[in-house]
Amino acid sequence: MFGLIGHLTSLAHAQEVARELGYEEYAQKDLDFWCVAPPQIVADITVKSITGKTIVGKYVESCFLPEMLLLKKFKAATRKVLNAMAHAQKHGINITALGGFSSIIFENFNLMEMLHFRNIKLEVERFTTGNTHTAYIICRQVEEGAQKYGIDLAKATVTVCGATGDIGSAVCRWLSVRSPIQELILVARNQERLQALRDSLGRGKIMTIEEALPQSDIVVWVASMAKGMEISPAILKKPSLLIDGGYPKNLATTIQVPDVQVINGGMVEHALDVDWQIMKWVNRYAPSRQLFACFAESMLLEFEGWYTNFSWGRNQITLEKMDQIGALSRKHGFRPIV
Amino acid sequence: MTVINYQCPTYRDAYSRINAIVIEGEQEAHDNYIALTQLLPDRSEELHRLAKMEERHKKGFTACGKNLEVTPDMEYARQFFAALKQNFDDALRQGNLVTCLVIQALIVECFAIAAYNIYIPVADPFARKITEGVLKDEYLHLSFGEEWLKANFAQVKQDIEAANRQNLPLVWQMLNQVTADARTLGMEREELMADFMTQYSETLGNIGFTSREIMKMAAYGLA
Repeated sequence: MFGLIGHLTSLAHAQEVARELGYEEYAQKDLDFWCVAPPQIVADITVKSITGKTIVGKYVESCFLPEMLLLKKFKAATRKVLNAMAHAQKHGINITALGGFSSIIFENFNLMEMLHFRNIKLEVERFTTGNTHTAYIICRQVEEGAQKYGIDLAKATVTVCGATGDIGSAVCRWLSVRSPIQELILVARNQERLQALRDSLGRGKIMTIEEALPQSDIVVWVASMAKGMEISPAILKKPSLLIDGGYPKNLATTIQVPDVQVINGGMVEHALDVDWQIMKWVNRYAPSRQLFACFAESMLLEFEGWYTNFSWGRNQITLEKMDQIGALSRKHGFRPIV
Repeated sequence: MTVINYQCPTYRDAYSRINAIVIEGEQEAHDNYIALTQLLPDRSEELHRLAKMEERHKKGFTACGKNLEVTPDMEYARQFFAALKQNFDDALRQGNLVTCLVIQALIVECFAIAAYNIYIPVADPFARKITEGVLKDEYLHLSFGEEWLKANFAQVKQDIEAANRQNLPLVWQMLNQVTADARTLGMEREELMADFMTQYSETLGNIGFTSREIMKMAAYGLA
């Protein structure tokens, strides 16, 4: 059995979903309530691979909301992730993906040091960040998106915003070795990490976002920000392609200008319908077949019986692991959305 | 993390009430498990064992107060538990085993587990050791009620829901009452609530309630 730990994108979103699902008492509550609300398994999921194999899983709502980070309620945020993981483990889920902000919280607040709490000892091999699959899918989106929108990669400048993150650094490694891109621009907040990344890649220009955007044919956005991404369409090169790997994904609606295409980054489409109710609330694109690649990673690991924390830690994603998960992704009928 | 001065007057003042609450809580738990032998005579031996543990806990927590040279405010503690005790005693008189178990073996034990878990990291070294020992026992007490209610779930489901409606709002009131003192001891209300709701929800799930039912029950009576 696989699991997905997810959360909603804002308090307003959570209240709306609670109301739609018939939890009126939750719909009326403020952020303080969501800070104390326990995790719940809110849906059962069935997925069929194109190989014919069928697996089942559970969706664990952690009750985390991004406002907890904005308001510096870090204790609440870490509690949400640990409790959701404990919940998944207690329900015997073999491999669970840490969706949305869960893996970022786990990493940034060093939850590896907090695996033993109450009468629980979290077994990390039961969890995966799903970042290897997300990084692989984003790289495929760069390549397939370029082709679809007539961008010649050999002449293209590609900017990765959030380049030093787990997903961002993996995307940079892939692009610098596997894609024929002309120029790679690295954008991130931490200059020290940026320099180290550039040194390890042996290429790439370090720039600010304002410098980078006007000259980028393709922008990969994988920075984690609690409010999503806010950029002004005016400074974007035209034509250009934006791959929005943030959460929530708000670029497609905020950037509606001619000659700028937006792809929902890190999203996959499954060849067959996925039987789940919850996804229409978690993402509102095409619920029955589209899902986050990180979630799909736990499904892939379940299909193969690989009960291991395939994606774990920061900047551990190798090209070999991306190849491995990419092969499984294709084998079981997932493809990048472009 | 702030360093706690266990000897300062503010801490000791708050401790006189919180310490009294745990001493009284353990005493009432002892009395309640003994009383439950009337309704569960075939489990008498086990209930006496649980009661004995609670008595030992009471002694442990009394020693914690003495160690800090604090006199527990027992009258305050008796008032604190009065409404919940009344509901337990009423249920006992009516032979309502389910309500008795929900109050003592679910609500009180879940609350104790949450509180002790939050207390341990901020406790003085003496009390920490005692509380760690107590906590292990409380998980056993929780599972006693949990297992009985689970085994009889189909027949008692509605009674559990009714007992929840009657008693959970009291828990929130009690929590409000101790918020300031608990904070003085380094225990945040939000953490207490979160751990209680998590433990309580998990227990309701083990007993047989669905996620939807649990979400409604665990949040019942919250303003």
